[in-house]
Amino acid sequence: MKTVSSLLDKEWYKRYRAISRLNIRSSIYDVTNRCNLRCRGCFFFSSSEDRVAKEEMDLQKWEAFIDREKERGVNLAILIGGEPTLCLDRVEAFYRRLPTFCATNGLIRLPRDRFPDLMVGISLWGDEEDERLLRGRDTFSISSRNYEGDPHAYYLYTITPRQIGKTERIVRRIRDAGLKLHMQLLSNDEGVDQFFWTDEELVGIRAEMDHMLDSYPETVVSSRYYHQIITTGKMFGRRFGWDECPSVTEPLDRRDPRPRRLTGFIRWASDLRTMHRCCTSETRDCSTCKDGAAHMSWVMVNKRAHIRTEQDLKNWVEVYEMFAKLYRFIPW
Amino acid sequence: MTETTADITIRIAEIMINELKLEDVTPENFDPDMDLVDEVGIDSMDLATVALVVQDEYGIRIDEDDYPKLTTIRLIAQYVQERM
Repeated sequence: MKTVSSLLDKEWYKRYRAISRLNIRSSIYDVTNRCNLRCRGCFFFSSSEDRVAKEEMDLQKWEAFIDREKERGVNLAILIGGEPTLCLDRVEAFYRRLPTFCATNGLIRLPRDRFPDLMVGISLWGDEEDERLLRGRDTFSISSRNYEGDPHAYYLYTITPRQIGKTERIVRRIRDAGLKLHMQLLSNDEGVDQFFWTDEELVGIRAEMDHMLDSYPETVVSSRYYHQIITTGKMFGRRFGWDECPSVTEPLDRRDPRPRRLTGFIRWASDLRTMHRCCTSETRDCSTCKDGAAHMSWVMVNKRAHIRTEQDLKNWVEVYEMFAKLYRFIPW
Repeated sequence: MTETTADITIRIAEIMINELKLEDVTPENFDPDMDLVDEVGIDSMDLATVALVVQDEYGIRIDEDDYPKLTTIRLIAQYVQERM
C-alpha cells in the first residue's frame, strides 16, 4: 500500500502533516440580498437568488442561527451576498463566533478596529475596462485605497477571456498596493458577449496564470495544479460537473452515486431557512462552471486519489495549502 | 463466541480495505498501528464511511466527536470492543 511518508520527503511530509488534520468544514451564508453594485454576470442577481428568501432583520436570530451552525460542526463561515459590508452587525455576529471569511467588492472598508483579523476577499473582474463594462464602475481604484497594505485582505481576481496578455499589469497593481491575489475564472452566468471561454483561450490563460505565479510568488496565492484543474475541468480523466461537484448543499444532495463531497456543506439564504442548491446559482451550467473554490474543494476531497505518485500528492498538498491560506487556517 | 480485539482488528482492516478500495494490502498485513490520517491519508468522509459499516456490523454507535481519536485500526477496534 502506498503511504504518505513513502511518497514524500521529510520537508513535504511536514507540510502534509500541517494540514492533514484541519478538517475544514465550511458553509456559505448570504448575509444580505442587497448590494451596492449590480454586476452583469453576478450569479446571485442573474439567477434571482436575491428574491427567493426574505432577509432576516433580527440580529438575535442571526446570532442564534450562527450558534446552531457552530454546533453543527461548521468551522469556516464564508460570507457572501449581496454585499456583506452593508450589514456589519451580521458580519460581526459571525466573526465573534466562528472562523470567518468575508467576500466584498471593497467599496466599503471594513473597520479594522472592529474586525482586526477578519480575512477579506475583494472581488475584481478583469481590468478597468472590463470592470466598467460588467460592473458599471472601476472598483479597483476605490477598493485598493480602502485596503492598501492590509495583511488580512487579498484580491479575488476573476480573469475574463479578454484579459489574456493583460494580467501582469493587474498583478503588479495589486502588488504595488501591498496586497496579495488569488486567480479564478469568470463563469459568465449572464452570457455577456465576448466573455465566453474558448478551449484555446483556456490553454492560453493557464500558461499566463503559471507565469504570474512563477514571476510574483510573494503576491500570487495559487498553484500550477489548480490552474490545470480549473482550465481543463479535468482531474485524473474525470470531468468537473454536477456528478462530481463537492460543493452541493448536503440536505439537498440527491445524487446517486454520491460523489466525494464537502461534509455538512450548506449554502444558506438570508432568511436563515432557505437553502440554495450549491455554492453558486441553480441556473449555472455545471459543465462550464469555473468556480475557483469548488474546483479547489474538488481536489481537496479527493485526497486518496492523489496518493498515487510523489507529484500527485505534492499537487494535492499545494492546493490544500492554498485553500488553507486563503481562509486563514495557516499563515501566508 | 466473544470476539477478541485481534479478531475485531482484522475485521476493521477488512472493512477499511473494502470500503475505501485500498490496494496492495490485506487485512493480515495492514499495520494496526499505522496512522490512518498521516500515512493512509484517510479523511473524515472516509472515516464516516467506515464508521457506518462498523456501526451496523457491531450494533454500536460511533460518535462523530470521537473521530479525531480513532487514528489507527487498533484504536478503532478497542473503541468497538469497549462498546459491544
